Amino acid sequence: MASAAAATAAAASIRERQTVALKRMLNFNVPHIKNSTGEPVWKVLIYDRFGQDIISPLLSVKELRDMGITLHLLLHSDRDPIPDVPAVYFVMPTEENIDRMCQDLRNQLYESYYLNFISAISRSKLEDIANAALAASAVTQVAKVFDQYLNFITLEDDMFVLCNQNKELVSYRAINRPDITDTEMETVMDTIVDSLFCFFVTLGAVPIIRCSRGTAAEMVAVKLDKKLRENLRDARNSLFTGDTLGAGQFSFQRPLLVLVDRNIDLATPLHHTWTYQALVHDVLDFHLNRVNLEESSGVENSPAGARPKRKNKKSYDLTPVDKFWQKHKGSPFPEVAESVQQELESYRAQEDEVKRLKSIMGLEGEDEGAISMLSDNTAKLTSAVSSLPELLEKKRLIDLHTNVATAVLEHIKARKLDVYFEYEEKIMSKTTLDKSLLDIISDPDAGTPEDKMRLFLIYYISTQQAPSEADLEQYKKALTDAGCNLNPLQYIKQWKAFTKMASAPASYGSTTTKPMGLLSRVMNTGSQFVMEGVKNLVLKQQNLPVTRILDNLMEMKSNPETDDYRYFDPKMLRGNDSFFL
Amino acid sequence: MAVDITLLFRASVKTVKTRNKALGVAVGGGVDGSRDELFRRSPRPKGDFSCRAREVISHIGKLRDFLLEHRKDYINAYSHTMSEYGRMTDTERDQIDQDAQIFMRTCSEAIQQLRTEAHKEIHSQQVKEHRTAVLDFIEDYLKRVCKLYSEQRAIRVKRVVDKKRLSKLEPEPNTKTRESTSSEKVSQSPSKDSEENPATEEHPEKILAETQPELGTWGDGKGEDELSPEEIQMFEQENQRLIGEMNSLFDEVRQIEGRVVEISRLQEIFTEKVLQQEAEIDSIHQLVVGATENIKEGNEDIREVPHL
Repeated sequence: MASAAAATAAAASIRERQTVALKRMLNFNVPHIKNSTGEPVWKVLIYDRFGQDIISPLLSVKELRDMGITLHLLLHSDRDPIPDVPAVYFVMPTEENIDRMCQDLRNQLYESYYLNFISAISRSKLEDIANAALAASAVTQVAKVFDQYLNFITLEDDMFVLCNQNKELVSYRAINRPDITDTEMETVMDTIVDSLFCFFVTLGAVPIIRCSRGTAAEMVAVKLDKKLRENLRDARNSLFTGDTLGAGQFSFQRPLLVLVDRNIDLATPLHHTWTYQALVHDVLDFHLNRVNLEESSGVENSPAGARPKRKNKKSYDLTPVDKFWQKHKGSPFPEVAESVQQELESYRAQEDEVKRLKSIMGLEGEDEGAISMLSDNTAKLTSAVSSLPELLEKKRLIDLHTNVATAVLEHIKARKLDVYFEYEEKIMSKTTLDKSLLDIISDPDAGTPEDKMRLFLIYYISTQQAPSEADLEQYKKALTDAGCNLNPLQYIKQWKAFTKMASAPASYGSTTTKPMGLLSRVMNTGSQFVMEGVKNLVLKQQNLPVTRILDNLMEMKSNPETDDYRYFDPKMLRGNDSFFL
Repeated sequence: MAVDITLLFRASVKTVKTRNKALGVAVGGGVDGSRDELFRRSPRPKGDFSCRAREVISHIGKLRDFLLEHRKDYINAYSHTMSEYGRMTDTERDQIDQDAQIFMRTCSEAIQQLRTEAHKEIHSQQVKEHRTAVLDFIEDYLKRVCKLYSEQRAIRVKRVVDKKRLSKLEPEPNTKTRESTSSEKVSQSPSKDSEENPATEEHPEKILAETQPELGTWGDGKGEDELSPEEIQMFEQENQRLIGEMNSLFDEVRQIEGRVVEISRLQEIFTEKVLQQEAEIDSIHQLVVGATENIKEGNEDIREVPHL
């Protein structure tokens, strides 16, 4: 899997830009101005699964309502005709979608149609729609047709993923499996390039591209360069000129796009983690900023014959508006637990303040002294009442994070993830190991078979020389006893054989984890997060291989690793690339 | 950045048309097509609902324009110093208030009516949802316009209260101010002010009015030589005392005013919350009633089961 790291000088984050683009689209492609006494305009939003994935991390249902959207529906669902309503479509230009849209036109479902395609539509498909519109005599109803170039999903201010619906298509396995054909490879590359191109159009800047040689990343880089160049060549129709680009156009700094093949660093994705966001992603069901928890309603003695209690499923959105999440998503887990406690205490203090006012109010008519206090308290009461919504919101966030953190903690305790984390850190930084690997693998209550496999693979990847045959057999036996499937090991063996230089980049820099306090350390007495038996580990800064590469390239340092990287600049008139350091 | 390909689309339509003509395919495109289009569109149910909804919106728009147009004049405080055009008497202001209120009432009634009728003939869930949302939007629009009205009304009331306060601060009521305050009192009777103000206002005036003629008669009187310095001093002291009393009364009244304003604001907030809770309490009530019924039936069923 190729991963991209883009360092950008643009002022507005990509999330803001994509949100602005979406809002403009929802406003019939006219820039959106807030007007407090404006007349309401209503519309219906139709999207496919791709559109849904793009919109859901950025706009909540309430925000859609504010933009005047009364209904939002999936393209391929049963939809009833709603007269006198303009419909905004936001779909990918695939065959099925076009067919369904033509069907809608024929059935005269809505009054007017605003068609927006997530990535550019081909001329022939446009003619299909024209055909259907003519057949249905609905040409004037098609009010506007736009290519939105929004084919990527922004999860946070500065992080985006290429796709979610067809992520199998562009996954590591898809690219690196041995039986892939050329045409399939081309499709995968085209998908990736399309998303990256849309990203840069939305960002409004033309990047400088660097990639390593001889990898899938190079293929992507070549294609992307070609696409950008073709677009820039036609100065009139170029997507990168125009007044919506603003700052990006005039700054002398251009973003640097570094395309790196996943094969450079296979250990990091397997690594067990210790920070809040990474743990939530690893341990719970977390997609597109939404985490789904199954709450078990506790072990209770159910009387005989009663129906067993159903586990209720809850899902929470972890958004950039959530201040606690923004502050703590990179913190080590024990810190998160502490912070939740602190937030809870401060919330309780504020709640008590409000309750106290209530009791003072109740003293009215009983005590002369209290009545004179009343007059000051009127002002206090007003301020308390107006701060109530804030308090409620705070409570909701605290509940949310308490539930999420508790779920994570349960997993940690069940699978002894702290032990894994510590051990893997030691392996990756090549410090001496105090426990033998075999012990951990054969330990029956430390982790799932998958955890053990991950640990062993990290060990295998990071050791300088391969373990001897006898040792390997021993490990294999222990792993199979623990219930692991040995296929991943086969693959890693092959991979290691291929990339002989894999031994070099697997240096993760020196990191140490200092266990602060050993086993059975209780956090604090009032705490719900009794982290008994969980080590309170502290993270130190570590430099992953990708970080090092990026650092070298940005600072133009000379390093054998990155010296060999290719250099593409789509804006340069000469088509050849040059060997720059 | 999005690219507008509408022109491209229209060009494609033309291409398809010419292609179809060339192939001799009767698709309904061309001149016939446009006629067909018009013909097909008219019998389509135009949507009674949306027509009425748009009517309500245009009404509310008219109200908004009306309010905005006269806003400047309405708020203008120094209307008696302005020229003919800028002036707006209080009766005109009251007229505006009344008209606006009637208008708002009719609009909200129209919205309610639409709401009840919207769900009558329609069976589709989606259309129902859509109509509810549309009505919510219209109500929101009405609320925003009403806010315009209540804002300017609040400014007017506040200005009246301030004016009254200002008039009370006059230390020696000359005949002119006395006349103007009394005339203002008359004109401000329709506004809602507390009863205390006119009372306290009259009181100092009366007392001062009394003392002045008394001083006057004494000053003109004959027994000046023996009594006047002491009497004058005594009366002056009494003056001072009365002024002090009046000032403290005035302070207290101002405090009370402030508290009343705050209390009224709080009450507004509370009524809002109570109304919100009303709906919830109703539903809780329904649930509880249902639950009691279920429990009763459950008990009966249990009783019926023959003991094993």
